[in-house]
Amino acid sequence: MFFSVMDETAEPLCERMATDLDDGFTELVRVHASAVHAFLLRMTGNAAEADDLGQETFLRAYTALQEYSAQRRRALRPRAWLMTIAANVWRNHVRTCVRRPVAAVSVEESCESWAAEGPGPQDHADTVADRALLVAALARLPERARVAVVLRHVVGMSYAEVAEVQGCPVGTVKAQVSRGLSVLREVLEPEVALLREVTM
Amino acid sequence: MNRGGKWTPQPESGVEAALAGLMGPAPGDFAARVLHRVGIPRDRYDLYLHLDAPAGGLYVAYGTDAVTGAALGTALSGPQAFEEAHRARTGRSAIPTTRPLPGLRTALRTGRARGLAIDLPELTEAERAALDAVRTIPRGQLRPLAWVAREAALPDSAAVTAALVANPVPLLIPCHRVTFDDGGPCDLRYGPIAGEALRRAEGVDEALVGLSRAGTVFLGSDTTRIYCHPTCAHARRITPVHQVPFRSARDARAAGYRACKSCRPIAA
Repeated sequence: MFFSVMDETAEPLCERMATDLDDGFTELVRVHASAVHAFLLRMTGNAAEADDLGQETFLRAYTALQEYSAQRRRALRPRAWLMTIAANVWRNHVRTCVRRPVAAVSVEESCESWAAEGPGPQDHADTVADRALLVAALARLPERARVAVVLRHVVGMSYAEVAEVQGCPVGTVKAQVSRGLSVLREVLEPEVALLREVTM
Repeated sequence: MNRGGKWTPQPESGVEAALAGLMGPAPGDFAARVLHRVGIPRDRYDLYLHLDAPAGGLYVAYGTDAVTGAALGTALSGPQAFEEAHRARTGRSAIPTTRPLPGLRTALRTGRARGLAIDLPELTEAERAALDAVRTIPRGQLRPLAWVAREAALPDSAAVTAALVANPVPLLIPCHRVTFDDGGPCDLRYGPIAGEALRRAEGVDEALVGLSRAGTVFLGSDTTRIYCHPTCAHARRITPVHQVPFRSARDARAAGYRACKSCRPIAA
């Protein structure tokens, strides 16, 4: 029913994990490392933390895969499964260091250093300032909305995949994403949002 | 809006586009550190990186202690294309890294890659023999197909051309230094434009290449009465007044010349 970007590569990947775990896992890391890292970077707002949590995510994934039967590995949908682990690792991390203030200042700092890494997909964002604004606004979204927005629009997963990660119906995810986007739009395009309010 | 599962970029709204722009590649060696930390044995995967070189740089993949594949930057759309091509050819994953195999950078900078360990288990015996012979061609020099065939002890140049087309490690196995038997460059792997860029970077004298095209296959010196391939280091030292062009080894032998012992032109 759903054909996401990764589905063509998913099937041989699972087959490989089922027959030869080390080889399949290597391929899993190659294909999905960037997505996991990008997700965690946007959730933590800090490159060093994203790096640590990313390592933790793949370590857990590998440990879990060792326990799984070949059949279960074959039936896996790797990207959604990995993101579920990453989201759990991130929530645990937030819980353990809840006494320390997370994010806020470090978000703005780290996003600026990150944006300076030369041209690339970030050309979409008009200026570094706009980008910093967006990253900061993203960091202020409520947790579940942020997970949904990042998975849907930064990582580029389908609503069905996001629903699998969030463990809730697809409709709920769509609502979370749409609400999250309207908050971001207000921050980024205040005139447009104002216009919309006036005309509606 | 986009209600199905298929995700497509949505340029109509600024926020969606800006969010998609936040998806960057993971830092240089993130994936490699993950595999190291998880404890996947190093011989189960290859590392790769992009190094400076003429013709768009060079992607080089390596295993535990030898290069296992490479591709010119101009021949590929990006790192992902290299990863997929490497996987398809060798059946091994290529994981990005920032640290090159020891000796790799030097080999690329000096153009002397003969001593570099290159491991290509997927090649046939004949292909490996041909490419090993190609590796002995010195920097800045050219050799014809027949020469490679003789050095590799192969029956004819067809086996050599097959190996050149397949060459999985361009530049480090210098197939841009091979010419057709009439002296014209034989860029079977990546086309004449990249080939010329590689030769120019090595300082191959285009005048000598032109000489070959004009029908001169060998160059002799009337002081030493030795004949060479025109790009041989000894041939390049012959001053213009003493240069004697030959169309074939037989002509040179008939004129009383002997073959150079370092570039070993084929005897008639």
